[in-house]
Amino acid sequence: MKDFFENPALLIGVPMLIFGLAGAGLVLAAMLPQPQTATGALETGRFAPPGGEAHMGPTPAEYVNIGLLLAAITAVEVAVYYVDALAGLLVPVLIVLSLSKFLLVVLWFMHLRFDNRLFSTFFTGGLLLALAVFIVVLATLKGSIT
Amino acid sequence: MEYAGPTHELQPMETSTGVDNRKLLMWLFLASDCLFFGALISTYLLYRDRSVVGPFPKDLYDIPFTSVSSFILLMSSVSMVLALAAIQRGDLRRMRVWLVCTAMLGILFLSGQAYEFTEFYNKGLSLHQNLFGSTFFVLTGFHGAHVTVGVILLLSIWVRSMQGKVTQNDTLSVELMGLYWHFVDIVWIIIFTFVYLLTGK
Repeated sequence: MKDFFENPALLIGVPMLIFGLAGAGLVLAAMLPQPQTATGALETGRFAPPGGEAHMGPTPAEYVNIGLLLAAITAVEVAVYYVDALAGLLVPVLIVLSLSKFLLVVLWFMHLRFDNRLFSTFFTGGLLLALAVFIVVLATLKGSIT
Repeated sequence: MEYAGPTHELQPMETSTGVDNRKLLMWLFLASDCLFFGALISTYLLYRDRSVVGPFPKDLYDIPFTSVSSFILLMSSVSMVLALAAIQRGDLRRMRVWLVCTAMLGILFLSGQAYEFTEFYNKGLSLHQNLFGSTFFVLTGFHGAHVTVGVILLLSIWVRSMQGKVTQNDTLSVELMGLYWHFVDIVWIIIFTFVYLLTGK
């Protein structure tokens, strides 16, 4: 595992792969068919008439369930941190768990799963640029994530 | 024709993109903020182990405490999205309750951060002590500043709502507030993993 941290290809490749998958997930989610609103409008609340249903997003109960799932993932993260037997897998496991929380919030709480693709495109663009900054800085100046 | 004066109600509008420009602007802002925090996190990771004097991350981090802070911020995201769901249903009373809940959880998170900063300072870490201190305080400090702005905005919407200036037609205001708040949350999700868990052991 020590080799993993000292190998720039793995060190850069793994986070790049994971965040790349995140970006791809966002794009794919945005490409899925968008739910129709109750009024037949394309978009969320903005163009909905007063009193009209904004969009067919999650229900409050589903929001609470997602919140509980986020809390559970956080608990698993902390547990993994303290389990010595998983020390070798700490980096990939924590990154995957963090990515799961990230996607849950972005896709459901921020409604990218249900919203216009233009928003997903802009946000994914920002994320990929941030990832590029992350990789370039750490690779050129020999930083590491652990 | 007599000018009717400004109205706080959002009127339906047509745009060339088919989406509301205010929401588009918020997403562009969040995309640019990704770059901002991406640079700060990269800088932290780069300089964290290059301090020549202590204290170092392993000497200071209190993971259980930070885990509770993370839980609080995650729950504030839940209450924020419930506030949005409430105004979309036209239930302004519950929207106000959830907005206040979100603001209170945000304040609780900030209190925890203030406590953590104080503890670290008392143990010898300052902005000028070493590279770890400089990058840690700048990164988490800017995140805390974002949370502070969010709390102020939440309370301002709540006050306006109490004054009757926020109606069911103002769904977009709460939605934009929610986008900002959830973004602050996802930044903390990344910070918690990369700054605390991956480097604190």
